[in-house]
Amino acid sequence: MKIAQKQNNDITIFDINGDIDINSSPDMREVFENIANAKTMKVVVNLSGVSYVDSSGLATLVEMLKKTRSYGGKLRLANLAPKVKSLFEITKLEKLFDIFDTEEEAGANF
Amino acid sequence: MENREVVIEVKDLVKSFNGRVILNGINLKVYKGETLVIMGGSGCGKSTLLRNMIGTHRPDSGSIFIKGNDITKLNESEFDKIRKIYGMVFQDAALYDSMNVEENISLVLCEHTKLDPDIISIMVKMKLELVGLRGFEKFMPSQLSGGMRRRVGIARALAMDPELVFYDEPTAGLDPIIAGVIDKLILDLSKKLQITSVVVTHDMKSVFAIADRVVMLYDGKIIAEGEMSEIKNSEDPRIKQFITGSPEGPIQFLQSGDGYLDELTK
Amino acid sequence: MLNFIAAIGKRVLSTLSQIGGIFILLKATLFWVFIGPFIKKPISYRNIFQQMVFEGVNSLLIVFFVTFFTGIVLAMQSAYQLAQLGAEMYVASLVAVAMAREMGPVLAALVVAGRVGAAITAELGSMQVTEQVEALQTQALNPVRFLVVPRFIALMVMLPCLTILGVFAGMVGGYLMGVFSIGINSGVYIDITFKFLALKDIYTGLIKSVSFAMIIALIGCYMGLNAKGGAEGVGRATTVSVVTSFIMIILADCVLTGIFFFSQM
Repeated sequence: MKIAQKQNNDITIFDINGDIDINSSPDMREVFENIANAKTMKVVVNLSGVSYVDSSGLATLVEMLKKTRSYGGKLRLANLAPKVKSLFEITKLEKLFDIFDTEEEAGANF
Repeated sequence: MENREVVIEVKDLVKSFNGRVILNGINLKVYKGETLVIMGGSGCGKSTLLRNMIGTHRPDSGSIFIKGNDITKLNESEFDKIRKIYGMVFQDAALYDSMNVEENISLVLCEHTKLDPDIISIMVKMKLELVGLRGFEKFMPSQLSGGMRRRVGIARALAMDPELVFYDEPTAGLDPIIAGVIDKLILDLSKKLQITSVVVTHDMKSVFAIADRVVMLYDGKIIAEGEMSEIKNSEDPRIKQFITGSPEGPIQFLQSGDGYLDELTK
Repeated sequence: MLNFIAAIGKRVLSTLSQIGGIFILLKATLFWVFIGPFIKKPISYRNIFQQMVFEGVNSLLIVFFVTFFTGIVLAMQSAYQLAQLGAEMYVASLVAVAMAREMGPVLAALVVAGRVGAAITAELGSMQVTEQVEALQTQALNPVRFLVVPRFIALMVMLPCLTILGVFAGMVGGYLMGVFSIGINSGVYIDITFKFLALKDIYTGLIKSVSFAMIIALIGCYMGLNAKGGAEGVGRATTVSVVTSFIMIILADCVLTGIFFFSQM
């Protein structure tokens, strides 16, 4: 799994590539922790390159959401592959996250 | 059918205990994503077959491939890697008595992964939601009913997101409604999460509810294998007898005949 | 007659296979104590700590009682003998040396074998018959590392501690008896105690208690992990575990005493 970080005005965007599983989710958490510590207000996670998220990956995203909310920030997800989206539905997490079809949509109206 | 990915392949498996042959040349395949039910009467060897597949028993001869690895030839530490891709639900759940529900589920995550305790605690909540037991984290196994224990057992088996789950008599000893709940759960998990399931049972209601494919074991051998519909319409009297649960038929459980009188007067 | 010989043969074979099993368990345990932690995650300290509390702290009172009164009895019995030589004051050294070399380690071990060894077998036995041990295996959690090692380490630490306490309690019992009932001068009693009590008495006692701890933990765990046949089987395993531990403790005591005090070392 690879994570690329870019800045679009005041929005921080993460591009994630590869599977998010038990081995790689701790790395993702580390990156997120820096963001949360810096109290970044607007975060978009682009999951277009992700074909599989296991429950540790989902849990890491949930924790990230909890942290950003705690200081009033926002976390949005974009570009979910159908299989990944259905995972969010099965675990009833799709109502918890703001999920957008594209990165641009996610970046608008923050 | 034949071009589907094979997850488990059992080849010429033979196992005996104290000179009694329990499994006598078993051959079977489990395909990815399906629910295979191994059914048969008590003592037909189905539990032994399951224990050979999960590697707690080693066969006398033959081989078992899980995702291409012959588990009968692996040593313990190589086998441990395979063990992380399957989950096992035991007959009476076999929850760890000294740990509460949360610790039962999280133990394997704490031991085998580098995940943070906060992440693990979120994962435990998600697993408990899957089996409909959210809020029971701090309960001890002794405080739960049989059906709840069984469901915690399923949540524990799912802890590492396995692609393969074994169930040993998942509905045995439960009332019909709870048994139905467990059946639905097994069905849901295999359909939603695309988990390959191998279920050992003699509960026909459960077989009809969950099976994609059925293997019937009798006297250490596979006597029938096929889609659920084929088994239902089978002409084999042994299978008919098993499905209807009739005491009369080719499968004899009662000792009868003249031997009785001879033995009395011997 | 043939049946009789066959029965004996069967018994010998099963005993031999049990001894073999215990040595295999010892090997696996030592592996997970010394080499395992460098390959896998170390054993949780919480687990060991819990076992220490259960095995050690909760045995304090009973070990104290048994050894304290044994000290008194030793003082009374030896006073009767020594009085005939007019040497009552040597009650002090006799009690001290007997407690440190023999009575302290053995009594503490017997008490712990009855209390802790039985509990270990009963707990692991019920885990075995309810498939919990198998569940550990299917989760790639080694039962030896997970169940045996914490109990083993805890007992190796706690039994010597209990032994020290036991030796001390016995000496206190002897002192009270000697000073207040037999009428030995308090200063003389203490003086003689430490004049005759050598360092060797203490450390041989402690070496003994470490070996007893190994015996209790290994036999207790082995019998538990090999329990068969439901609740009845667990009960049977527990009885066998305690009886075997008792015999092995006395046997080991005999051998170690011979090595320490009757060989040219």
